Amino acid sequence: MSLHSVVTRALGAPMLLMAVMAAAAPALADETCQSPYMPKITGQEEFVYLWTLGVEGLGDESDKVVTVDVRPGSKTFGKVVHTASVPGRNEAHHGGFTDDRRHLWLGGLDTSKIFVFDVATDPGKPRLVKTIDTFVKDSGGVVGPHGHYALPGRMMIAGLSNNKDHSGRTALVEYTNEGEYIATHWMPIDSETYGARIEKTADGYGYDIRVLPRKNIMLTSSFTGWSNYMMDVGKVVSDPEAMKRMGQTMVLWDLHTRKPLKVFEVPGVPLEIRFAWGENHNYAFTATNLTSRLWLIYEDEKGEWQAKDVCDIGDPAKVPMPVAMSISADDSELFVTTFSDGMVRVYDITDPHKPRQKYEKVIGHQVNMVSQSWDGKRVYFSSSVLSRWDKKDEGSEEYLRAYAWDGKELTPTFDVDFIAEKLGKPHLMRFGSASLYN
Amino acid sequence: MKRIVVASVVLCLLPSVLPAGAPARPELALGRSAGYDYDPPEPGSYRLPVIRPAGDGDVLTAEGKKARLRDIVSGQVTILSFIYTRCADPRACPMASGALYQIHEISRQDDEIARRLRLVTFSFDPEHDTPTRMAEYGGALRPAGEGSEWMFLTTRGKRELQPILDGYGQRVDPKRNPLDPLGPFYHVVRVYLIDQRGMVRNIYSYGMLDPRMVLADVRTLMMESSPPAR
Repeated sequence: MSLHSVVTRALGAPMLLMAVMAAAAPALADETCQSPYMPKITGQEEFVYLWTLGVEGLGDESDKVVTVDVRPGSKTFGKVVHTASVPGRNEAHHGGFTDDRRHLWLGGLDTSKIFVFDVATDPGKPRLVKTIDTFVKDSGGVVGPHGHYALPGRMMIAGLSNNKDHSGRTALVEYTNEGEYIATHWMPIDSETYGARIEKTADGYGYDIRVLPRKNIMLTSSFTGWSNYMMDVGKVVSDPEAMKRMGQTMVLWDLHTRKPLKVFEVPGVPLEIRFAWGENHNYAFTATNLTSRLWLIYEDEKGEWQAKDVCDIGDPAKVPMPVAMSISADDSELFVTTFSDGMVRVYDITDPHKPRQKYEKVIGHQVNMVSQSWDGKRVYFSSSVLSRWDKKDEGSEEYLRAYAWDGKELTPTFDVDFIAEKLGKPHLMRFGSASLYN
Repeated sequence: MKRIVVASVVLCLLPSVLPAGAPARPELALGRSAGYDYDPPEPGSYRLPVIRPAGDGDVLTAEGKKARLRDIVSGQVTILSFIYTRCADPRACPMASGALYQIHEISRQDDEIARRLRLVTFSFDPEHDTPTRMAEYGGALRPAGEGSEWMFLTTRGKRELQPILDGYGQRVDPKRNPLDPLGPFYHVVRVYLIDQRGMVRNIYSYGMLDPRMVLADVRTLMMESSPPAR
């Protein structure tokens, strides 16, 4: 009897076939902007978590996780059902779930603290279970934990700065899911490339992280350092030296070895990164904040990865400042929010090399993050960018706004006023659901 | 007919000729695939940081003998996969066991891998996965007498199991519907690479269990004279 027939007999043909096929050909999918290693909410999300900046003179003045009920038919639909404050104001900004989606890590860009919330025990009531206050020391001087990205059993965190000169020179930092430090990977710079090929320059800056496991690559983008993001935005833009310290690169990494492979020249502060989901879609998008251009990072016919700008976002002369993006699960649409004009623009990206704007709408006086459900029918927007960069004029507002999307029109479903509710300035959004855990 | 289909799939995926004078890295014959569309790195050309000490606890072998897990996963490079045999989710335990099966097949062509790598399949379903059941499961996957050692472990019960799962950060929860056709447990796929000193050096999940990549890691650890300090 052959080996294979022995195996087949003992395990059962369907089981072994499934095992071998599964081992050979993974196909990854997830909510539209989450790590591919993470379980996804394919149906109705139940809660939206908002990492919210505390504001002096407003409520308890502390940073907090605000939980909003988004269950259709719930008596508290569209309402704040829970808040969980952390000590003080830390410049609450970004964060992310662990790969098992049981914990939500949330970073403070000013204090470099990371707050870890249990979102699995009671998804309607996130609970602070750990604070990592040794990030700078652990990492060897990295400041400003920004992108928190789930890898199996661990978190990869992109810093924004460092404790020597508070410029944008920074690193990627790995922790276990339990909060134990593992390693630091400094971004390549011109004088220390770590073997990377440099298109024009390597600034060493960081911001977002995304991976494409089937190509074994990781992409990072670049913003600016502590000395700029903690400065009043008016001073930054009027200071030519400060404006020189803005990110202008993206780095392609070998995901497995964590070695940088290539540094792309992407001038104008490339921020969020979104990889396409399709099995043969070897590309990602980013948007440049200062130059208002949509960029495509793609694998060409020779297997080389390239970066090119593919279209304007609004009128760059009016500096709309793209800040966030959300790609649809079928890779057909890309939502892009622009801070200055408070708008969302939806692009048809069926041909990623020739995006075409198909829709636009004013969401608010200013807008920041955009998140869509897996089925693309619900879209959420939050308002705040940075405590010292947000608008301060009379029209300023802070909100979570929810819409229904039918492919043609955004129709409002509910609105939470974070000033009236004395909550603060909402930034990062993530979805929660009890269905993930049972 | 089904057996023919399965055999065909296996033969397509694995190097078809067992060698006299095997290549230095026989896994490279697998080549690229849609799910693993890249060339793996050279062993020893990169560093695998220490992640955590491997978990420990009392286990039962497929022969029903008591053992300490720490003793099993120390002394040589180990790949440890948490599974339960009732799992029918093709993206979960069947995939992990399929990957270990592929690695074991490759070890039959590589004396050093056969000698220095140990595979461990560990059930987190002790009520169902008795030593007898694990022996059946293992007997199906592991040909006798050739290739790397491959152990199939379980525990006496949940009391012995939980500290081990905690030690590895492997979470397992019962589903609300115990009759779910994909199996009664919710869990994420976790496969651990453990070095000779019993330290976890990599954690694999869905989309990462490319035998070429896992064996590049294994060979990297085998080339180390001493692991990096944490």
